[in-house]
Amino acid sequence: MSISSIDELELGLAGADYLPDRGLATALYLSLQLEKPLLLEGEAGVGKTEAAKALARILDTRLIRLQCYEGLDVAHAVYEWNYSRQLLHIRAAQEGTVSEEELFGPEFLIRRPLLEAIESPERVVLLIDEIDRADEEFEAFLLEVLSDFQITIPEIGTISAADHKPAVVLTSNRTRELHDALKRRCLYHWIGHPALEREVAIVKLRVPGVPERLASQAAAFVQGLRGLDLAKPPGVAETIDWANALTALGRQELDAEVVEQTLGSVLKYHEDVLAVRDETLQGLLQEARAATSS
Amino acid sequence: MADAVATHVVTFGRVLREAGLEVGPGRLADALTGLDLVELSRRDDVYWTLRQTLVSRWEDLDAFDAAFAAWFLRAPTAPVFRQGTETASLRLLRRTSATKRDEGDGGNAQEDQTSLGYSPDELLRRRDFADMTPDELENVSRLIFEIASGRPQRKSRRLRPHHRGHDLDMRRLVRASLATGGEAVERAFRSRVHVPRKLVVLCDVSGSMEAYSRALVLFLHALVRSGRGVETFAFGTRLTRLTRELIIRDPEGALSAAAERVGDWSGGTRIGYSLKTFNDDWGRRALARGAVVVIVSDGWEREDAAVVGHEMARLARQAYAVVWVNPLKGHPDYQPLAGGMRAALPYVDRFLSGHNLASLEELSEVLIGIERRHAA
Repeated sequence: MSISSIDELELGLAGADYLPDRGLATALYLSLQLEKPLLLEGEAGVGKTEAAKALARILDTRLIRLQCYEGLDVAHAVYEWNYSRQLLHIRAAQEGTVSEEELFGPEFLIRRPLLEAIESPERVVLLIDEIDRADEEFEAFLLEVLSDFQITIPEIGTISAADHKPAVVLTSNRTRELHDALKRRCLYHWIGHPALEREVAIVKLRVPGVPERLASQAAAFVQGLRGLDLAKPPGVAETIDWANALTALGRQELDAEVVEQTLGSVLKYHEDVLAVRDETLQGLLQEARAATSS
Repeated sequence: MADAVATHVVTFGRVLREAGLEVGPGRLADALTGLDLVELSRRDDVYWTLRQTLVSRWEDLDAFDAAFAAWFLRAPTAPVFRQGTETASLRLLRRTSATKRDEGDGGNAQEDQTSLGYSPDELLRRRDFADMTPDELENVSRLIFEIASGRPQRKSRRLRPHHRGHDLDMRRLVRASLATGGEAVERAFRSRVHVPRKLVVLCDVSGSMEAYSRALVLFLHALVRSGRGVETFAFGTRLTRLTRELIIRDPEGALSAAAERVGDWSGGTRIGYSLKTFNDDWGRRALARGAVVVIVSDGWEREDAAVVGHEMARLARQAYAVVWVNPLKGHPDYQPLAGGMRAALPYVDRFLSGHNLASLEELSEVLIGIERRHAA
């Protein structure tokens, strides 16, 4: 599917069960059109990873995901040789000698996400998740890959994706500052928490069978929680989890009892659960009901 | 693309550069190409296109919004496009001179002539930073720099070839086996390497710490320059990240840049609130996880000391180890009586003084050899 305007992309994403705000839709659109990687930052649970998944769905292509972690190296991100097969192969060819070209050929290559994305004959979506967790050495390597979209394997040669560049989405939780050179390669978008109406729409889209009023109240309640001084304010992901739990319990709307029972799917810190009790809870509940009755 | 738009955008780029953003020609070209692709009549599309192509850091979003409002909307207020959870901006640039105290009482700084047998260096090592003249401080800054080069280490998950490692280096082994028909005659190993551990320093620059601030900022500056993985913050009534300012090479420049950022240099102290800001904004993003956290403060809390205890507990749960440096501890009759200090101590692994060069050396040694905190 080719996309010729932001409106079209917005519609397409909605069809793929993802409701971006105009800013994110613009960012994804520009990233596709300019063929530049998109760096997404934002609080946990605002849908950074989901954005890449939804993009793959509407482009009707594969999502290749590279989860970053400290110590991630080329052997786990790009390729590695299948050593046990190589050793077996040498053993099996007892009589004849084994040449190096034979041993370091494509059939002994284990493809990791980056190589897979570059080598793929069609355009894929490459998600490089939590890039800030990888070491800086890896970031420098990635910079090379993202500028040329090619990878060199000494034994095989250079593999290039010049005519089918993958759509690249990087996410970061800002645990450290990324290198300026890497940022210069990317478009940048900060995802905030959604406004109330959008959050209600997201809940209704993602939680099948959720009662209308419950969706509105849950979203309004979570919006209220974000206004409190919490150790970890809940993201949209938590609202969806919560609405799922409430729907599973067969609830039509919120009351103090059910909120207390299920708050664990929204607040992930004990001290936050303690902070939202009694009057605070009642207050939020009243606001959430008021917001949805009008 | 109409020329008028191009001119407009290029000028806007200049406005952004003046506001401190890094806007190169590459970014401007992207912005222009981007504007070609969107509806120029939709203000929000123009806003997003410019923001996504010209800004690359969350910290710059406020400055961008202000510039966008002033330039495109001709309005002095920020536009309402942004919603979300951004906490109040830290970049209130109130200009306060850090060099103020230089003009002050330099007169009472007389050498302790009775300690014969000590070299001048040794005297300087033991001399309280608070009693030093600006000239003396200048002299010790080089020594501070050397002291700060030691860093705590941790094992990396990365493997490097090593003759006595524990993991087989299969890549080298297979190559070597080619010659011997698949027989691994010579084995090759890899081993984990040691890399610097993350180090986070929170430095109190409030009025009660003024006598030590300059020397300690020199120390911070040297730490940041010692290599990667060091994050530094200053706090008084609020918390400000200093790392970027301290990357500047010359310590004096770094110092005045830092002073400009901190704003409340030599104001009151809200340790609990500052720690909370750190935990909320940075701890949540896992900056403190696995890090050695050093807090430099005299522990005088203007507000509720219980908050200090609470936030220290949060911090200690994330950190690899917590070190508290209190210059007052250098005085022989010091007792940790300040409320904030007492509340914090249960969560502190090492409690040091840091009031002179010798104690900074001790701090450096502690940092290099520090072990994981035990249950407090």
